[in-house]
Amino acid sequence: MTTPAHGHAADSDWRLPSRGRVGMFSLILAESAIFVIFVVAYVYNIGRSTFGPQPRQVLELPILNTIFLLSSSGTILMAERALVKRAMAAFIAWWALTIALGAIFLLGTAQEWHKLITKDGLTISTNLFGTTFYSLVGLHASHVIVGLVMLSAVLVFTLLGALKPEHTEKVEVLALYWHFVDWVWVVVFSVVYVIGR
Amino acid sequence: MAGGSIPVPGGLGSAADVAATEADGATWLEHLHSWVVTVDHKKLGVMYVLYALLFLVVGGIEALIIRIQLFFPDNHFVSAETFNRVFTMHGTTMIFFVAMPIVFGFGNYLMPLMLGVRDMAFPRLNAFSFWMSAFGGLLLYYSFIGGVGLQGAGSAPDVGWWAYAPLTSRAFSRGHSTDYWALALIVSGFGSIGAAINFIATAFCMRCKGMTLFRMPLFVWLYVVSSGLVLVAVSPLTAAQVMLTIDRYLGGHFFDTQAGGSAVVWAHFFWIFGHPEVYVLVLPAFAIINEVVPVFSRKAIFGYPAMVAASVGIGFVSLGVWAHHMFTIGMTSISNAFFVLSTMLVGIPTGIKIFNWIATMWGGKIRYRTPMLFAVGFLVQFLIAGLTGIILSVAPFNWQLHNSYFVIAHFHYVIVGAILFAIFSGIYYWFPKVTGRMLDERLGKWNFWLFVIGFHVCFDVMHIPGVLGMPRSIYTYEADRGWTGLNQIVSVGAIIQGIAIAILVYNMIHSALKGQEAGPDPWDAWTLEWATNSPPPPYNFAIEPVARSRRPLWDLKHPNDPDEPLEEG
Amino acid sequence: MSTGAQREHSATASQAENAIHLPAPTQWPLILAVGLTLLFAGLVTNVMISALGVVMAVCGAVGWFRQVLPQEAHEMLPVTLEEIAIEREGRRVTRVEHLHPVAGRAITGISTYPISSGIKGGFAGGTVMILLAEIYGVVRFHSIWYVVNLLGGAGVAGWNAPTEHDLGTFHLAAFLIAIVIHTASSFLVGLLYGALLPILPRHPIVLGGLIAPALWTGLLHSTLGLLNPYFDDHINWYWFALSQVGYGLVAGWVVAREGRLKSLRDVPLSVRLGVETAEPLKHDDEGRR
Repeated sequence: MTTPAHGHAADSDWRLPSRGRVGMFSLILAESAIFVIFVVAYVYNIGRSTFGPQPRQVLELPILNTIFLLSSSGTILMAERALVKRAMAAFIAWWALTIALGAIFLLGTAQEWHKLITKDGLTISTNLFGTTFYSLVGLHASHVIVGLVMLSAVLVFTLLGALKPEHTEKVEVLALYWHFVDWVWVVVFSVVYVIGR
Repeated sequence: MAGGSIPVPGGLGSAADVAATEADGATWLEHLHSWVVTVDHKKLGVMYVLYALLFLVVGGIEALIIRIQLFFPDNHFVSAETFNRVFTMHGTTMIFFVAMPIVFGFGNYLMPLMLGVRDMAFPRLNAFSFWMSAFGGLLLYYSFIGGVGLQGAGSAPDVGWWAYAPLTSRAFSRGHSTDYWALALIVSGFGSIGAAINFIATAFCMRCKGMTLFRMPLFVWLYVVSSGLVLVAVSPLTAAQVMLTIDRYLGGHFFDTQAGGSAVVWAHFFWIFGHPEVYVLVLPAFAIINEVVPVFSRKAIFGYPAMVAASVGIGFVSLGVWAHHMFTIGMTSISNAFFVLSTMLVGIPTGIKIFNWIATMWGGKIRYRTPMLFAVGFLVQFLIAGLTGIILSVAPFNWQLHNSYFVIAHFHYVIVGAILFAIFSGIYYWFPKVTGRMLDERLGKWNFWLFVIGFHVCFDVMHIPGVLGMPRSIYTYEADRGWTGLNQIVSVGAIIQGIAIAILVYNMIHSALKGQEAGPDPWDAWTLEWATNSPPPPYNFAIEPVARSRRPLWDLKHPNDPDEPLEEG
Repeated sequence: MSTGAQREHSATASQAENAIHLPAPTQWPLILAVGLTLLFAGLVTNVMISALGVVMAVCGAVGWFRQVLPQEAHEMLPVTLEEIAIEREGRRVTRVEHLHPVAGRAITGISTYPISSGIKGGFAGGTVMILLAEIYGVVRFHSIWYVVNLLGGAGVAGWNAPTEHDLGTFHLAAFLIAIVIHTASSFLVGLLYGALLPILPRHPIVLGGLIAPALWTGLLHSTLGLLNPYFDDHINWYWFALSQVGYGLVAGWVVAREGRLKSLRDVPLSVRLGVETAEPLKHDDEGRR
């Protein structure tokens, strides 16, 4: 009997990383690459618009909106903690608050776009600034929308009582996506509203 | 060890035939349905490969049209417009709908088997990714029928596979042909990203007991690096295609120079995808060679950690070399110098790999079966391709030869001479595992020798008209340029390669039906895919295997001389 | 036949006794893919196709969702346990019997020179080469700058067909470039030399002093006209070959003085590089055999 014996100890506690997390991190990497390209396109084209409204003339700092979105990263963290403790009432409250904050952010963006389109006459085809602005902010907003749809689905299932303890990890993976969406906004915000103005 | 039969992780000593085989009594339609709705990594892998081979034939026919057109000076076999479409479709097809899916197919089929598990990490995402890739190809080819758009212009895309702005703007590319190109690549890009996520998650989260990261076959490692590159390189292409679509549909100005946009930015975005893409394709080719060379040299792979490190190194360096495709576009001297140096840097990890393969063969007991023949062809041709690559990386030299047939010859050397040879090697190596039957060895030798001769006649000679100044993408040339004879030799080589591929297709069909029975392990190999039946049952392994070294099957075959575990855990 | 493999199987065999869970086949990913493709295809054809695509995509997404939640859908596949006979063609595995008494396996590279000695030799040879080249420059042209300018002159902008007087005077740019070229090529040739050493380990001076200079001079003789035409015009090939030989002899001498490594397996790096060595076996050798 010469089969090496010291492998057995390792086998008994054979642990592998969670595929949900690894998959989500991979997705986040791919998404980051997409955002990088749009951010580069935005930065490269700052000040290159030859006509039409310029950022300085039409953009206002969405500080309140930013605070709403970033704080939703904290509320979802609180929700996750509540879920691990199986404190379902707290989980529902924090989770609903997260959705509300995300929705307020989206409303704020909609308001800003409405003002830009109707008052300042800036659309995606008006000039280069409009093209890069709407595509970058729109890309982010579309991620917020996807995130909100999924967060709401979780909320509905929780209210129906279908959220079992074995789903905790799936919820955490979804929260990972929401954190990503939040922190991409920091990049978008600083590029569009701070550097680009 | 005298007996020819060894219990391996796929089987058990007491044979207990429990189930009736599922194929009994199933109609043709039920069979088809079981393939369409499958989430089994093996079926999806086979579909990827078949789909890629179908497009290989289509793209090959397009290549032959190009070569027939260039056979005579002032030829009118096809019109200039058709020629533009044909070379655009040839490039796009071969990269996105032949090379990518065939590579994904190999990974899909083999990765779980090699890791000793029963499926990929995300089986449904796997099916989704396959169908997205497949429908992308169909959408692209539908443009031949449906591409007639505004003002009756259109049909298939004709802007080159790199699709430089501003040719792709609405003003210069009327109709919908360019839209088909962009949208088809967005669709298949989603598929590629999904497949890459799946490969990474599988390698990290789906390993049998004892299969630590540094015991994974190098094949799996190479796929991890390649998938990482897909994530960071194909996503930019998707982003750029979205920008192009915004420009064309919503009147955006990303690449509209009159509004302040930049055409050069498109070139950057395209090559940020385009160059890593070469490594996305060549790393899986390395993966195949990493499996074939040791088995047919009867030696363990030389320098496993160095191979892993070199692969990761290639992955990182390849992200910083894209603009060597753009030396003639007019960059600053500093950027030129940077991209010259970073490109040359790729030579170091690549050299490590070539030396390690040679060191693996060195002193081995080499068996020149067809897979090994293709692998050796790969080694030689990849070296030459790398050398012309280093030549082209020198910016002043590049200024002379950019967009000439020298460049065409160089990258076909990489894609055909290296990647396709490795893929053929893999087909001959794993065909017995997939079908349970060996590919015919005599036809295989014919295939190899015709292909290698045709390849060298075609692509060795093709360097010369490039040096003589023949630009790429021209649909014909004057008789007094002195290119005629050379082009005719190149075309003859292309036809020889076409015959070789016809032999391969015949061999695959013939051997799948009537080939010699392979048995589970025809090559006396050492990785886990050979530890189960050929073809493997849907669950791969009845009992999940345990890995104690980098060559689990070697350990089972040689209980008195197992590979020592290289590290604990 | 060892029973080790069977023993560890029996531990896990219970799971495989009757059936195995596998993900159930499903059409929803396909429908989602069709939907998304139609959504994009609608952009080039008709907006109604996009609408159809959206409907299909939503159906596909919902169906997929219901497939994996609350429980992933599985199908039970009955297992067929059968003996897998590993047939091997040509089982002519040549066992190297006790080449190495401890491992029972062949050990590669019993003793050779380390690559670093090649690099040291390269620098030493490079220094000697400077001396030899300078002797030529001083004796023939009475200037220490002549050879420097020959080597570095390609980097001096605006130098067209320099005269011998030009070549004899000091140019800072040419000086710096010559230093860079000479240092880099001394290093690289030394590195190459060190890497080649294991091929001819017994005769470093022959390799360094004769074979390498012959190869190197031949290569330069055929390509120098392209690389550095001025150098090519003015070079004295005999003296050049001589200085190459001087370089190689000194480099070889330095390498020989460095001494050879006892065995590759004494180098931890080689173990890490995966060279098959007997190192891990040493400790429990007595207990196992």
